[in-house]
Amino acid sequence: MQKYDVVIVGTGACGGWACMELAQAGFKVALLEAGSYVDPWKEFRHRWPYQLPFHGSGQPGFLRKYFRGATEYNYRIMIDDRDNPYTTPPDQPFHWVRSRVLGGRTLHWARASDRMSDFEFKAASRDGYGEDWPISYRDVAPYYDRVERFIGISAAPANLPQFPDGIFLPPMPLNCAETIFQAAARKIGLPCTPRRVAQLTRSWNHRPQCHYCGNCVNGCDVGAMFNTIVSTLPPALKTGNVTLLCDSVVSHVLMDKENRARGVRYVERYTNRTVEIGARIVVLAGSTLENTRLLLNSAPGGLANSSGVLGHYLMDQISGAGVSGFLPILRGTAIRNDDGKAGGLYIPNFSNLGSRPGSGKFIRGYAMSATGGAQLFPVFAPHVPGYGSTFKRQVKALYPAYARVWLSGGEMLARKENFVELDPEVRDRWGIPVLKIHCTHCDNDRRLYEDFFERAQELFHAAGGEIVDAKPTIGIPGSLVHEVGTCRMGANPKTSVLNSFCQTHDVPNLFVFGGGCFVTSGDKHPTLTMMALTARGCDYLIDLARRNAI
Amino acid sequence: MTRRDASWMILRAAAAAGGSEFFASWIAAGQPLPPSHAHRENPFAPPEPDRWRSYRPQFFSPEEFEILDRFTELLIPTDETPGAREAHVAPFIDFVVNAAAEYAPEMQTEWRNAMAWLRARKFANLTAEQQIALLEEMSEPERVRGKTHEGFPVYQLIKNMTIHAFYTSRAGLVEDLEYKGLAYLTTFPGCSHPEHHQV
Repeated sequence: MQKYDVVIVGTGACGGWACMELAQAGFKVALLEAGSYVDPWKEFRHRWPYQLPFHGSGQPGFLRKYFRGATEYNYRIMIDDRDNPYTTPPDQPFHWVRSRVLGGRTLHWARASDRMSDFEFKAASRDGYGEDWPISYRDVAPYYDRVERFIGISAAPANLPQFPDGIFLPPMPLNCAETIFQAAARKIGLPCTPRRVAQLTRSWNHRPQCHYCGNCVNGCDVGAMFNTIVSTLPPALKTGNVTLLCDSVVSHVLMDKENRARGVRYVERYTNRTVEIGARIVVLAGSTLENTRLLLNSAPGGLANSSGVLGHYLMDQISGAGVSGFLPILRGTAIRNDDGKAGGLYIPNFSNLGSRPGSGKFIRGYAMSATGGAQLFPVFAPHVPGYGSTFKRQVKALYPAYARVWLSGGEMLARKENFVELDPEVRDRWGIPVLKIHCTHCDNDRRLYEDFFERAQELFHAAGGEIVDAKPTIGIPGSLVHEVGTCRMGANPKTSVLNSFCQTHDVPNLFVFGGGCFVTSGDKHPTLTMMALTARGCDYLIDLARRNAI
Repeated sequence: MTRRDASWMILRAAAAAGGSEFFASWIAAGQPLPPSHAHRENPFAPPEPDRWRSYRPQFFSPEEFEILDRFTELLIPTDETPGAREAHVAPFIDFVVNAAAEYAPEMQTEWRNAMAWLRARKFANLTAEQQIALLEEMSEPERVRGKTHEGFPVYQLIKNMTIHAFYTSRAGLVEDLEYKGLAYLTTFPGCSHPEHHQV
């Protein structure tokens, strides 16, 4: 069996980061990816809908197996749901949006990058619900700095305690609709700032600046948006310390008799051959729920689960369809490039910040985003009645006036009864048991959504907008693709799986990076925090290994 | 929802959604459009691919195809900008529905039935005025609350697919809508209108 210093499972935001740090520290790393290899320079380029056989929608019925999020442009970097099923109780739908490909979801993520604050890390101390994180903002701040300095964040300082500022490149300018929403937000007393995105406004760290094509979610063709394959992987590979193994579907963490991880077992995706790979340290970074699935599958009752909480406290930030319509002031104006940056206006949380949190309708907070203008396809056109030249002129007049406000993320309360387990019957294409996901909203979650729904309409009206579509129903859990928890961190090994460095309490040489460690979901986009916690965990891991204390 | 998410599902959802009334009132109340702006085509837009020049319908019969071609032309006519004809909407629909055999055969049935409905009304033999009168009747439920028409699902099916086909074609997206994205720019052209900074 080949032996490495570290084996890392997964190549997304956290796996890529851990690989870079550990390889640069001199460790021999095996980096495992369940999906296929991707070369951005060969595969990612601008494509117009009329250059694709089905103009972007794919052969009828073909994209069904890719569940949601996939289009004719990008299905190759999404996941085939029939090969990779999961189950839920029939009355508890959950949308688990995944990618299996080199770079994972960083290839098509929305790039929003926010710092969490002590309003979130210490929320329990403020309002008495649940538990605090074992760390505070001060512990994570230096690692936010490190990650931001490396990946590059375009943003404007906002000087808000609930939304800490960081190390920023210049922000992207707001388009017309966003400027109008900015004025509306100020008018009704809401904080606002350009959405903070991991997308370069000037060349940075050997990567070129953004050229504002707006093609981000189909794979950036120049590497101006952060993803593993243009950012963290090249310096990792440059060390010569990394063995990259794609198409390797990990099924188990292997243990020795001294209760230490000794490596992992994986299945070669195309040959179905089973391979074992040895390592002194095992790092799981295959996404929040895949990490937990692996731990559950690696030992009866779950590996590193003496606490019994592995799989529990699943959260996905609260989402919903939000509000869309038109800004009449933009009706019939000249068409401008409005969607070249895919950013938006961000309205950070403004709820429960005072001295009596929870005195209102709900506890915790949420953030909204707003954007508008001409976006590639006029999604509203099928709603416009009529036909003929009148119809054409209406669509053209409304094209630059389309606008929407959506829920960027609302805190979903951590509840033990939201959990994942291994389905006793269903297995994936490689014979690995799949997850059964149990997740519902509680009253607080619904009240929070109701508050957003009212505020979103208030904002729309303040902007002079006409609302066409407003759905008061909370989104299906998972829809926001901000799933966190199930492997929570804590100071007490009896009530948590990980310590604050993402090391398992039970197995000293086993680390779990990603969203699993989250104690609360917070209201920020979670990826930057996952990466900062990975950086912090890597520092700790390197220190322990150098002192032979692992 | 991503900006590229113009899938068949959305088209279907749109058919069921209730935005029409709002639009109807907005259109009635709307001021006339300002004089058209100097047309500037997106310099980054590649030419239309050559795939339609020698395209022969594969799914629809000659009569069905003639009906489809005429119907889509009435929905999106050629006027000061190109219409369904220049956008090759009917050939595109034929191509898509033909390809549905593999994973979505129910789509073929739906289209075959829609065409049968129009054939039963001898659509191809009607005069232009009669065709428009039929279209006006079929589409009435879209404008008048409480109205129903047995041809309304046919109208919606063709209209939704025509919208998808047209606004994703070069003629629709670049020449009619003047879409400015998918460019290579050094800076993003933010809002430069003082009037947008206050509400």
